[in-house]
Amino acid sequence: MKKTGFLFDERYLLHETGSYHPEVPARLQAVYQGIKEAGLLARLTLIHASLSDLKWIEAVHDKEYIKRFEMACVTGKSTFDCPDNQICPATYETALLAVGGILDATRLVMNAEIDNVFCAVRPPGHHAEINKAMGFCYFNNVAIAARYLQKEWGIKRVGIVDFDVHHGNGTQHIFEDDPNVFYYSIHQHPSFAYPGTGREFEEGEGAGLGFTKNSPVLPGKEDSEYKRLIKRDLFPVFESFKPEVIIVSSGFDAHVDDDMSDIKLSTEAFSWIIKSVVEMSDKYSNGRLISVLEGGYSLKRLPELAKNHVEILLDYK
Amino acid sequence: MFVSKSMTTKVITINKDADIFEAREKMAEHQIRHLPVITKDYQLIGIVSDRDIRSAMPLSDYNSKKTSAKLAKLKIKDIMTIDPITISPLHTIQDALVLMQKTRVGAFPVVDEKGKLRGIISVRDLLRAFINVMGMEDPGTLMCIIVEEKLGQMKKIVDAITEEHISFGSIMVARYWDEEKRAVFPYLLTQNINPLKKKFKNMGYEVLDPMKWYIDQLPKND
Repeated sequence: MKKTGFLFDERYLLHETGSYHPEVPARLQAVYQGIKEAGLLARLTLIHASLSDLKWIEAVHDKEYIKRFEMACVTGKSTFDCPDNQICPATYETALLAVGGILDATRLVMNAEIDNVFCAVRPPGHHAEINKAMGFCYFNNVAIAARYLQKEWGIKRVGIVDFDVHHGNGTQHIFEDDPNVFYYSIHQHPSFAYPGTGREFEEGEGAGLGFTKNSPVLPGKEDSEYKRLIKRDLFPVFESFKPEVIIVSSGFDAHVDDDMSDIKLSTEAFSWIIKSVVEMSDKYSNGRLISVLEGGYSLKRLPELAKNHVEILLDYK
Repeated sequence: MFVSKSMTTKVITINKDADIFEAREKMAEHQIRHLPVITKDYQLIGIVSDRDIRSAMPLSDYNSKKTSAKLAKLKIKDIMTIDPITISPLHTIQDALVLMQKTRVGAFPVVDEKGKLRGIISVRDLLRAFINVMGMEDPGTLMCIIVEEKLGQMKKIVDAITEEHISFGSIMVARYWDEEKRAVFPYLLTQNINPLKKKFKNMGYEVLDPMKWYIDQLPKND
Protein backbone atom coordinates (compact mmCIF):
# COMPACT_ATOMS: atom_id res chain seq x y z
CA MET A 1 0.00 0.00 0.00
CA LYS A 2 1.19 3.52 -0.72
CA LYS A 3 1.31 6.50 1.58
CA THR A 4 -1.37 8.68 0.08
CA GLY A 5 -2.25 12.18 1.18
CA PHE A 6 -5.75 13.66 1.04
CA LEU A 7 -6.16 17.41 0.94
CA PHE A 8 -9.55 18.64 1.99
CA ASP A 9 -10.56 21.76 3.84
CA GLU A 10 -14.04 22.81 4.98
CA ARG A 11 -13.16 26.34 3.96
CA TYR A 12 -13.28 25.29 0.29
CA LEU A 13 -17.05 25.13 0.74
CA LEU A 14 -17.19 28.87 1.41
CA HIS A 15 -16.86 29.83 -2.26
CA GLU A 16 -20.48 30.36 -3.27
CA THR A 17 -21.59 30.48 -6.89
CA GLY A 18 -25.30 31.15 -6.52
CA SER A 19 -28.32 28.97 -7.16
CA TYR A 20 -28.02 28.22 -10.87
CA HIS A 21 -24.38 27.35 -11.15
CA PRO A 22 -23.05 23.81 -11.54
CA GLU A 23 -19.79 24.41 -9.61
CA VAL A 24 -21.26 24.19 -6.11
CA PRO A 25 -19.92 23.36 -2.63
CA ALA A 26 -22.07 20.20 -2.68
CA ARG A 27 -19.65 18.71 -5.24
CA LEU A 28 -16.85 18.74 -2.73
CA GLN A 29 -19.07 17.38 0.00
CA ALA A 30 -20.00 14.53 -2.33
CA VAL A 31 -16.32 13.81 -2.97
CA TYR A 32 -15.54 13.88 0.74
CA GLN A 33 -18.51 11.69 1.69
CA GLY A 34 -17.56 9.11 -0.91
CA ILE A 35 -14.08 8.80 0.55
CA LYS A 36 -15.26 8.91 4.16
CA GLU A 37 -18.02 6.35 3.77
CA ALA A 38 -15.64 3.90 2.18
CA GLY A 39 -13.62 4.02 5.39
CA LEU A 40 -10.62 5.44 3.61
CA LEU A 41 -9.91 8.43 5.84
CA ALA A 42 -8.03 6.31 8.36
CA ARG A 43 -5.64 5.10 5.68
CA LEU A 44 -4.87 8.56 4.33
CA THR A 45 -2.55 11.29 5.50
CA LEU A 46 -5.00 14.13 5.99
CA ILE A 47 -3.79 17.53 4.90
CA HIS A 48 -5.24 20.80 6.03
CA ALA A 49 -4.71 23.84 3.81
CA SER A 50 -2.68 26.92 4.58
CA LEU A 51 -2.90 30.18 2.64
CA SER A 52 -0.52 30.33 -0.26
CA ASP A 53 2.32 32.84 -0.25
CA LEU A 54 1.46 35.36 -2.95
CA LYS A 55 4.84 34.84 -4.57
CA TRP A 56 3.69 31.46 -5.89
CA ILE A 57 0.54 32.91 -7.38
CA GLU A 58 2.73 35.60 -8.95
CA ALA A 59 4.90 32.89 -10.46
CA VAL A 60 2.02 32.31 -12.88
CA HIS A 61 -0.42 35.23 -12.77
CA ASP A 62 0.09 38.94 -13.34
CA LYS A 63 0.22 41.03 -10.15
CA GLU A 64 -2.42 43.31 -11.57
CA TYR A 65 -4.76 40.36 -12.20
CA ILE A 66 -4.38 39.15 -8.62
CA LYS A 67 -5.22 42.59 -7.27
CA ARG A 68 -8.24 42.90 -9.55
CA PHE A 69 -9.53 39.55 -8.34
CA GLU A 70 -9.09 40.52 -4.72
CA MET A 71 -10.82 43.85 -5.34
CA ALA A 72 -13.77 42.21 -7.04
CA CYS A 73 -14.34 39.94 -4.05
CA VAL A 74 -13.76 42.59 -1.42
CA THR A 75 -16.12 45.04 -3.10
CA GLY A 76 -18.89 42.45 -3.27
CA LYS A 77 -19.11 41.94 -7.03
CA SER A 78 -21.07 38.90 -8.17
CA THR A 79 -18.96 37.87 -11.16
CA PHE A 80 -15.33 38.31 -12.15
CA ASP A 81 -14.04 38.58 -15.73
CA CYS A 82 -16.94 36.65 -17.20
CA PRO A 83 -20.51 35.67 -16.27
CA ASP A 84 -19.48 32.02 -15.77
CA ASN A 85 -17.24 33.09 -12.90
CA GLN A 86 -19.60 33.74 -10.02
CA ILE A 87 -17.91 34.99 -6.87
CA CYS A 88 -18.74 35.87 -3.30
CA PRO A 89 -16.61 37.79 -0.76
CA ALA A 90 -14.92 34.56 0.40
CA THR A 91 -13.83 33.50 -3.08
CA TYR A 92 -10.43 35.17 -3.15
CA GLU A 93 -9.34 33.60 0.11
CA THR A 94 -10.75 30.22 -0.89
CA ALA A 95 -8.73 30.36 -4.09
CA LEU A 96 -5.61 31.21 -2.08
CA LEU A 97 -6.34 28.26 0.20
CA ALA A 98 -6.74 25.94 -2.76
CA VAL A 99 -3.31 26.87 -4.05
CA GLY A 100 -1.83 26.83 -0.54
CA GLY A 101 -3.21 23.39 0.19
CA ILE A 102 -1.90 22.00 -3.06
CA LEU A 103 1.56 23.42 -2.37
CA ASP A 104 1.46 21.93 1.14
CA ALA A 105 0.57 18.58 -0.40
CA THR A 106 3.31 18.92 -2.98
CA ARG A 107 5.87 19.65 -0.28
CA LEU A 108 4.93 16.44 1.51
CA VAL A 109 5.37 14.46 -1.69
CA MET A 110 8.75 16.04 -2.40
CA ASN A 111 9.89 15.39 1.17
CA ALA A 112 8.92 11.77 0.62
CA GLU A 113 6.53 11.90 3.56
CA ILE A 114 3.84 10.66 1.19
CA ASP A 115 4.02 8.97 -2.18
CA ASN A 116 1.07 10.63 -3.85
CA VAL A 117 -1.90 12.80 -2.98
CA PHE A 118 -5.45 13.67 -3.97
CA CYS A 119 -6.31 17.35 -3.56
CA ALA A 120 -10.07 17.86 -3.27
CA VAL A 121 -10.19 21.59 -3.90
CA ARG A 122 -12.47 24.34 -5.08
CA PRO A 123 -12.43 26.48 -7.12
CA PRO A 124 -10.91 24.53 -10.05
CA GLY A 125 -7.97 25.97 -11.99
CA HIS A 126 -7.15 24.68 -15.45
CA HIS A 127 -9.06 27.33 -17.45
CA ALA A 128 -7.46 30.26 -15.61
CA GLU A 129 -5.06 32.21 -17.81
CA ILE A 130 -2.19 34.45 -16.71
CA ASN A 131 -4.47 37.47 -16.54
CA LYS A 132 -7.97 36.19 -17.06
CA ALA A 133 -10.44 34.18 -15.04
CA MET A 134 -12.80 31.88 -16.93
CA GLY A 135 -14.62 28.57 -16.88
CA PHE A 136 -15.19 28.72 -13.09
CA CYS A 137 -11.42 29.02 -12.52
CA TYR A 138 -9.46 31.88 -10.90
CA PHE A 139 -5.95 30.71 -10.04
CA ASN A 140 -4.46 27.96 -12.12
CA ASN A 141 -3.79 25.54 -9.27
CA VAL A 142 -1.94 22.95 -11.32
CA ALA A 143 0.21 25.51 -13.18
CA ILE A 144 1.24 27.09 -9.89
CA ALA A 145 2.17 23.68 -8.48
CA ALA A 146 4.27 22.99 -11.57
CA ARG A 147 6.10 26.32 -11.27
CA TYR A 148 6.61 25.64 -7.56
CA LEU A 149 8.21 22.30 -8.38
CA GLN A 150 10.49 23.98 -10.90
CA LYS A 151 11.56 26.93 -8.77
CA GLU A 152 11.58 25.52 -5.26
CA TRP A 153 12.57 21.93 -5.94
CA GLY A 154 14.58 22.30 -9.14
CA ILE A 155 12.46 19.74 -10.96
CA LYS A 156 13.54 19.65 -14.60
CA ARG A 157 10.67 17.71 -16.11
CA VAL A 158 7.08 18.10 -14.89
CA GLY A 159 4.41 16.02 -16.61
CA ILE A 160 0.79 17.23 -16.49
CA VAL A 161 -2.07 14.91 -17.43
CA ASP A 162 -5.46 16.61 -17.74
CA PHE A 163 -8.43 14.28 -18.14
CA ASP A 164 -11.14 16.80 -17.34
CA VAL A 165 -13.57 16.75 -20.28
CA HIS A 166 -12.82 20.41 -21.07
CA HIS A 167 -9.47 21.38 -22.53
CA GLY A 168 -7.22 23.10 -19.98
CA ASN A 169 -6.53 26.16 -22.08
CA GLY A 170 -4.96 28.03 -19.16
CA THR A 171 -2.46 25.33 -18.31
CA GLN A 172 -1.56 24.76 -21.94
CA HIS A 173 -0.98 28.45 -22.65
CA ILE A 174 1.06 29.01 -19.50
CA PHE A 175 3.53 26.29 -20.49
CA GLU A 176 3.19 26.56 -24.24
CA ASP A 177 6.81 27.56 -24.77
CA ASP A 178 8.31 25.64 -21.85
CA PRO A 179 10.06 22.40 -22.83
CA ASN A 180 10.37 21.43 -19.17
CA VAL A 181 6.64 20.98 -18.62
CA PHE A 182 4.75 18.50 -20.76
CA TYR A 183 1.05 19.24 -20.95
CA TYR A 184 -1.23 16.40 -22.09
CA SER A 185 -4.98 16.76 -22.32
CA ILE A 186 -7.80 14.50 -23.45
CA HIS A 187 -11.11 16.31 -23.81
CA GLN A 188 -14.21 16.77 -25.91
CA HIS A 189 -13.38 18.11 -29.35
CA PRO A 190 -13.08 21.92 -29.37
CA SER A 191 -15.56 22.32 -32.21
CA PHE A 192 -18.18 20.79 -29.93
CA ALA A 193 -17.24 21.90 -26.44
CA TYR A 194 -15.94 24.67 -24.24
CA PRO A 195 -13.46 26.30 -24.41
CA GLY A 196 -12.90 25.70 -28.13
CA THR A 197 -9.18 24.99 -27.85
CA GLY A 198 -7.13 21.80 -27.71
CA ARG A 199 -6.87 20.79 -31.32
CA GLU A 200 -4.44 18.06 -32.34
CA PHE A 201 -2.35 20.65 -34.15
CA GLU A 202 -1.57 22.48 -30.91
CA GLU A 203 1.75 20.97 -29.93
CA GLY A 204 3.55 23.83 -28.23
CA GLU A 205 5.36 26.93 -29.43
CA GLY A 206 8.98 27.91 -29.86
CA ALA A 207 11.17 26.03 -27.43
CA GLY A 208 8.08 24.24 -26.15
CA LEU A 209 7.19 22.72 -29.50
CA GLY A 210 6.66 19.02 -28.97
CA PHE A 211 5.87 19.37 -25.26
CA THR A 212 2.12 19.75 -25.58
CA LYS A 213 -0.20 17.01 -26.80
CA ASN A 214 -3.94 17.07 -27.24
CA SER A 215 -6.40 14.23 -27.80
CA PRO A 216 -9.72 15.75 -28.87
CA VAL A 217 -12.65 13.31 -28.62
CA LEU A 218 -15.82 13.51 -30.68
CA PRO A 219 -19.19 13.81 -28.89
CA GLY A 220 -20.87 10.56 -27.94
CA LYS A 221 -17.65 8.60 -27.61
CA GLU A 222 -17.07 6.13 -24.79
CA ASP A 223 -14.48 4.15 -22.87
CA SER A 224 -12.85 2.39 -25.81
CA GLU A 225 -12.09 5.67 -27.57
CA TYR A 226 -10.53 7.18 -24.45
CA LYS A 227 -8.39 4.11 -23.86
CA ARG A 228 -7.32 4.01 -27.49
CA LEU A 229 -6.29 7.66 -27.54
CA ILE A 230 -4.48 7.60 -24.20
CA LYS A 231 -2.51 4.54 -25.30
CA ARG A 232 -1.76 6.09 -28.67
CA ASP A 233 -1.03 9.66 -27.56
CA LEU A 234 -0.05 9.81 -23.88
CA PHE A 235 1.98 6.66 -23.26
CA PRO A 236 4.64 7.28 -25.93
CA VAL A 237 5.16 10.94 -25.12
CA PHE A 238 5.65 10.30 -21.40
CA GLU A 239 7.87 7.37 -22.29
CA SER A 240 10.24 9.72 -24.01
CA PHE A 241 9.71 12.73 -21.71
CA LYS A 242 10.15 10.74 -18.48
CA PRO A 243 8.59 13.25 -16.08
CA GLU A 244 10.19 13.51 -12.67
CA VAL A 245 6.84 14.35 -11.09
CA ILE A 246 3.34 13.97 -12.51
CA ILE A 247 0.52 16.39 -11.76
CA VAL A 248 -2.97 15.29 -12.73
CA SER A 249 -5.87 17.63 -13.47
CA SER A 250 -8.61 15.22 -12.40
CA GLY A 251 -11.98 16.20 -13.76
CA PHE A 252 -14.85 13.74 -13.66
CA ASP A 253 -17.15 15.47 -16.12
CA ALA A 254 -16.62 13.04 -18.99
CA HIS A 255 -18.91 10.62 -17.14
CA VAL A 256 -22.03 9.52 -19.02
CA ASP A 257 -24.18 10.83 -16.16
CA ASP A 258 -22.48 14.22 -16.09
CA ASP A 259 -24.44 16.86 -17.97
CA MET A 260 -21.51 19.06 -18.81
CA SER A 261 -20.37 17.14 -21.86
CA ASP A 262 -21.48 14.73 -24.56
CA ILE A 263 -18.84 12.16 -23.64
CA LYS A 264 -20.10 8.92 -22.18
CA LEU A 265 -17.43 7.45 -19.96
CA SER A 266 -18.29 4.74 -17.45
CA THR A 267 -17.16 4.82 -13.82
CA GLU A 268 -14.68 2.05 -14.65
CA ALA A 269 -12.99 4.16 -17.32
CA PHE A 270 -11.92 6.71 -14.73
CA SER A 271 -10.31 3.94 -12.71
CA TRP A 272 -8.47 2.79 -15.81
CA ILE A 273 -7.23 6.31 -16.48
CA ILE A 274 -5.82 6.99 -13.02
CA LYS A 275 -4.39 3.49 -12.81
CA SER A 276 -2.49 4.12 -16.05
CA VAL A 277 -1.15 7.41 -14.73
CA VAL A 278 -0.12 5.82 -11.42
CA GLU A 279 1.74 3.15 -13.40
CA MET A 280 3.57 5.86 -15.31
CA SER A 281 4.43 7.63 -12.08
CA ASP A 282 5.91 4.40 -10.73
CA LYS A 283 7.91 3.94 -13.90
CA TYR A 284 9.25 7.46 -14.35
CA SER A 285 8.65 9.59 -11.24
CA ASN A 286 9.37 7.35 -8.31
CA GLY A 287 5.64 7.20 -7.67
CA ARG A 288 5.40 10.97 -7.19
CA LEU A 289 1.93 12.00 -8.31
CA ILE A 290 -0.22 14.98 -7.34
CA SER A 291 -3.86 14.65 -8.34
CA VAL A 292 -5.91 17.85 -8.24
CA LEU A 293 -9.69 18.03 -8.61
CA GLU A 294 -10.92 20.11 -11.53
CA GLY A 295 -14.50 19.58 -12.82
CA GLY A 296 -17.08 16.84 -12.29
CA TYR A 297 -20.65 17.86 -11.64
CA SER A 298 -22.74 14.75 -11.08
CA LEU A 299 -23.49 14.79 -7.36
CA LYS A 300 -24.76 11.25 -7.79
CA ARG A 301 -21.56 9.85 -9.28
CA LEU A 302 -18.88 11.89 -7.53
CA PRO A 303 -18.81 9.84 -4.30
CA GLU A 304 -18.00 6.59 -6.08
CA LEU A 305 -15.63 8.24 -8.56
CA ALA A 306 -13.70 9.90 -5.73
CA LYS A 307 -13.56 6.68 -3.72
CA ASN A 308 -12.24 4.68 -6.68
CA HIS A 309 -9.70 7.36 -7.50
CA VAL A 310 -8.28 7.40 -3.98
CA GLU A 311 -8.31 3.62 -3.65
CA ILE A 312 -6.16 3.38 -6.71
CA LEU A 313 -3.72 5.99 -5.42
CA LEU A 314 -3.51 4.04 -2.18
CA ASP A 315 -3.45 0.47 -3.22
CA TYR A 316 -1.65 0.26 -6.41
CA LYS A 317 0.71 -2.71 -6.39
CA MET B 1 -15.89 44.84 -45.62
CA PHE B 2 -13.61 46.36 -48.22
CA VAL B 3 -10.77 44.50 -49.81
CA SER B 4 -8.57 47.44 -48.83
CA LYS B 5 -9.07 46.48 -45.16
CA SER B 6 -8.20 42.80 -45.52
CA MET B 7 -5.50 42.85 -48.17
CA THR B 8 -1.79 42.57 -47.57
CA THR B 9 -0.25 45.93 -48.38
CA LYS B 10 3.43 45.00 -48.18
CA VAL B 11 3.44 43.04 -51.41
CA ILE B 12 6.45 41.01 -52.47
CA THR B 13 6.84 41.67 -56.18
CA ILE B 14 9.21 40.80 -58.99
CA ASN B 15 10.58 42.40 -62.09
CA LYS B 16 9.74 41.01 -65.53
CA ASP B 17 13.42 40.59 -66.35
CA ALA B 18 14.30 38.61 -63.26
CA ASP B 19 15.06 34.93 -63.68
CA ILE B 20 12.85 32.15 -62.41
CA PHE B 21 15.28 31.05 -59.70
CA GLU B 22 14.91 34.44 -58.10
CA ALA B 23 11.13 34.03 -58.18
CA ARG B 24 11.34 30.61 -56.59
CA GLU B 25 13.61 31.93 -53.85
CA LYS B 26 11.31 34.84 -53.07
CA MET B 27 8.32 32.55 -52.79
CA ALA B 28 10.16 30.15 -50.51
CA GLU B 29 11.56 32.90 -48.32
CA HIS B 30 8.21 34.61 -47.76
CA GLN B 31 6.09 31.46 -47.93
CA ILE B 32 3.84 32.82 -50.66
CA ARG B 33 2.67 31.44 -53.95
CA HIS B 34 2.04 34.51 -56.05
CA LEU B 35 4.32 37.32 -57.17
CA PRO B 36 2.79 40.31 -58.92
CA VAL B 37 5.01 41.60 -61.72
CA ILE B 38 5.31 45.36 -61.74
CA THR B 39 7.09 48.22 -63.43
CA LYS B 40 9.21 50.75 -61.58
CA ASP B 41 6.16 52.89 -60.85
CA TYR B 42 4.10 50.07 -59.45
CA GLN B 43 2.05 49.45 -62.58
CA LEU B 44 0.87 45.87 -62.67
CA ILE B 45 1.81 44.01 -65.83
CA GLY B 46 1.42 40.39 -64.83
CA ILE B 47 1.53 37.76 -62.13
CA VAL B 48 3.65 34.66 -61.67
CA SER B 49 2.60 31.77 -59.48
CA ASP B 50 4.42 28.76 -58.12
CA ARG B 51 2.52 26.68 -60.62
CA ASP B 52 3.98 28.72 -63.47
CA ILE B 53 7.43 28.04 -62.10
CA ARG B 54 6.83 24.33 -61.71
CA SER B 55 5.48 24.08 -65.24
CA ALA B 56 8.63 25.76 -66.54
CA MET B 57 10.87 23.29 -64.75
CA PRO B 58 10.50 19.85 -66.26
CA LEU B 59 11.03 16.98 -63.83
CA SER B 60 13.34 15.02 -66.06
CA ASP B 61 16.82 16.42 -66.84
CA TYR B 62 16.47 18.40 -63.66
CA ASN B 63 20.15 18.41 -62.98
CA SER B 64 21.47 18.36 -66.47
CA LYS B 65 23.65 21.27 -67.38
CA LYS B 66 21.81 21.90 -70.62
CA THR B 67 18.46 22.20 -68.83
CA SER B 68 19.91 24.43 -66.13
CA ALA B 69 21.39 26.71 -68.76
CA LYS B 70 18.07 26.84 -70.60
CA LEU B 71 16.24 27.57 -67.34
CA ALA B 72 18.68 30.31 -66.38
CA LYS B 73 17.82 32.10 -69.61
CA LEU B 74 14.08 32.03 -68.82
CA LYS B 75 12.79 35.29 -67.52
CA ILE B 76 9.64 36.05 -65.58
CA LYS B 77 8.17 37.77 -68.61
CA ASP B 78 8.36 34.44 -70.45
CA ILE B 79 6.27 32.49 -67.96
CA MET B 80 4.02 35.07 -66.26
CA THR B 81 0.30 35.51 -66.80
CA ILE B 82 -0.14 38.79 -68.56
CA ASP B 83 -3.15 40.86 -67.61
CA PRO B 84 -4.19 38.74 -64.60
CA ILE B 85 -7.54 38.90 -62.85
CA THR B 86 -7.43 41.81 -60.45
CA ILE B 87 -9.72 43.32 -57.89
CA SER B 88 -10.19 46.88 -56.69
CA PRO B 89 -9.57 48.13 -53.14
CA LEU B 90 -13.20 49.16 -53.07
CA HIS B 91 -14.49 45.72 -53.86
CA THR B 92 -15.73 43.85 -50.82
CA ILE B 93 -14.53 40.63 -49.24
CA GLN B 94 -17.71 39.00 -50.43
CA ASP B 95 -16.77 40.04 -53.98
CA ALA B 96 -13.37 38.45 -53.45
CA LEU B 97 -14.98 35.29 -52.06
CA VAL B 98 -17.34 34.88 -54.98
CA LEU B 99 -14.64 35.68 -57.51
CA MET B 100 -12.20 33.22 -55.97
CA GLN B 101 -14.81 30.50 -55.89
CA LYS B 102 -15.75 31.17 -59.53
CA THR B 103 -12.31 31.56 -61.07
CA ARG B 104 -10.49 29.09 -58.82
CA VAL B 105 -7.67 31.60 -58.51
CA GLY B 106 -6.01 31.75 -55.08
CA ALA B 107 -4.92 35.37 -54.97
CA PHE B 108 -5.80 38.64 -56.67
CA PRO B 109 -3.54 41.67 -57.02
CA VAL B 110 -5.43 44.71 -55.82
CA VAL B 111 -5.11 47.62 -58.23
CA ASP B 112 -6.60 51.10 -58.27
CA GLU B 113 -8.27 52.88 -61.21
CA LYS B 114 -4.85 53.87 -62.55
CA GLY B 115 -3.66 50.28 -62.67
CA LYS B 116 -1.24 50.79 -59.80
CA LEU B 117 -0.66 47.88 -57.42
CA ARG B 118 -2.07 48.59 -53.96
CA GLY B 119 -1.94 45.19 -52.34
CA ILE B 120 -2.76 41.55 -52.73
CA ILE B 121 -5.63 39.52 -51.32
CA SER B 122 -5.48 35.77 -51.06
CA VAL B 123 -7.40 32.81 -49.72
CA ARG B 124 -5.38 33.10 -46.53
CA ASP B 125 -6.69 36.60 -45.88
CA LEU B 126 -10.23 35.36 -46.31
CA LEU B 127 -9.59 32.46 -43.91
CA ARG B 128 -8.31 34.86 -41.33
CA ALA B 129 -11.43 37.00 -41.70
CA PHE B 130 -13.64 33.92 -41.38
CA ILE B 131 -11.90 32.78 -38.19
CA ASN B 132 -12.39 36.26 -36.79
CA VAL B 133 -16.06 36.38 -37.72
CA MET B 134 -16.71 32.99 -36.18
CA GLY B 135 -15.16 34.25 -32.96
CA MET B 136 -13.08 31.10 -32.76
CA GLU B 137 -10.33 32.78 -30.79
CA ASP B 138 -12.63 33.39 -27.82
CA PRO B 139 -13.36 30.53 -25.46
CA GLY B 140 -16.93 29.32 -25.80
CA THR B 141 -19.35 26.55 -26.69
CA LEU B 142 -21.00 26.04 -30.06
CA MET B 143 -24.62 24.94 -30.24
CA CYS B 144 -26.90 24.06 -33.13
CA ILE B 145 -30.64 24.51 -33.28
CA ILE B 146 -32.88 23.78 -36.22
CA VAL B 147 -35.53 26.43 -36.69
CA GLU B 148 -38.21 27.12 -39.23
CA GLU B 149 -37.35 29.71 -41.80
CA LYS B 150 -39.80 32.39 -40.77
CA LEU B 151 -39.87 35.90 -39.41
CA GLY B 152 -39.15 36.47 -35.74
CA GLN B 153 -37.18 33.31 -35.07
CA MET B 154 -33.88 35.03 -34.48
CA LYS B 155 -35.39 37.36 -31.93
CA LYS B 156 -36.76 34.42 -29.95
CA ILE B 157 -33.38 32.72 -29.97
CA VAL B 158 -31.51 35.85 -28.98
CA ASP B 159 -34.03 36.63 -26.23
CA ALA B 160 -33.69 33.13 -24.80
CA ILE B 161 -29.92 33.46 -24.72
CA THR B 162 -30.05 36.93 -23.19
CA GLU B 163 -32.41 35.74 -20.44
CA GLU B 164 -29.76 33.27 -19.38
CA HIS B 165 -27.26 36.15 -19.17
CA ILE B 166 -25.04 34.55 -21.78
CA SER B 167 -22.95 36.51 -24.28
CA PHE B 168 -22.56 35.76 -27.96
CA GLY B 169 -19.24 35.11 -29.56
CA SER B 170 -20.90 34.85 -32.95
CA ILE B 171 -23.94 33.39 -34.63
CA MET B 172 -24.00 31.55 -37.94
CA VAL B 173 -27.01 30.55 -39.95
CA ALA B 174 -26.64 27.81 -42.50
CA ARG B 175 -29.03 26.55 -45.14
CA TYR B 176 -30.35 23.16 -44.10
CA TRP B 177 -31.19 20.18 -46.30
CA ASP B 178 -34.84 20.92 -45.52
CA GLU B 179 -35.45 24.13 -47.41
CA GLU B 180 -38.03 25.36 -44.95
CA LYS B 181 -35.53 25.20 -42.14
CA ARG B 182 -32.28 26.78 -41.09
CA ALA B 183 -29.46 25.54 -38.89
CA VAL B 184 -28.63 28.26 -36.41
CA PHE B 185 -25.22 28.03 -34.70
CA PRO B 186 -24.86 30.38 -31.75
CA TYR B 187 -21.31 30.43 -30.37
CA LEU B 188 -21.81 31.13 -26.68
CA LEU B 189 -19.22 32.53 -24.33
CA THR B 190 -19.97 30.16 -21.51
CA GLN B 191 -19.13 26.68 -20.35
CA ASN B 192 -22.58 26.02 -18.96
CA ILE B 193 -25.14 25.61 -21.75
CA ASN B 194 -27.42 23.04 -20.18
CA PRO B 195 -30.09 25.49 -18.95
CA LEU B 196 -30.16 27.00 -22.44
CA LYS B 197 -30.47 23.63 -24.16
CA LYS B 198 -33.44 22.78 -21.96
CA LYS B 199 -34.99 26.13 -22.74
CA PHE B 200 -34.68 25.68 -26.49
CA LYS B 201 -36.20 22.23 -26.28
CA ASN B 202 -39.10 23.62 -24.29
CA MET B 203 -39.54 26.28 -26.97
CA GLY B 204 -39.98 23.51 -29.52
CA TYR B 205 -36.64 23.88 -31.25
CA GLU B 206 -34.63 20.87 -32.24
CA VAL B 207 -31.25 20.95 -30.51
CA LEU B 208 -29.20 19.00 -32.97
CA ASP B 209 -26.82 16.17 -32.01
CA PRO B 210 -23.30 17.47 -32.70
CA MET B 211 -22.51 14.53 -34.92
CA LYS B 212 -25.26 15.73 -37.28
CA TRP B 213 -24.09 19.32 -37.67
CA TYR B 214 -23.09 20.64 -41.04
CA ILE B 215 -22.77 24.10 -42.49
CA ASP B 216 -21.87 23.32 -46.08
CA GLN B 217 -24.81 24.02 -48.34
CA LEU B 218 -24.08 22.26 -51.54
CA PRO B 219 -23.25 18.59 -51.71
CA LYS B 220 -19.69 18.24 -52.96
CA ASN B 221 -19.36 16.73 -56.45
CA ASP B 222 -17.74 13.45 -55.56
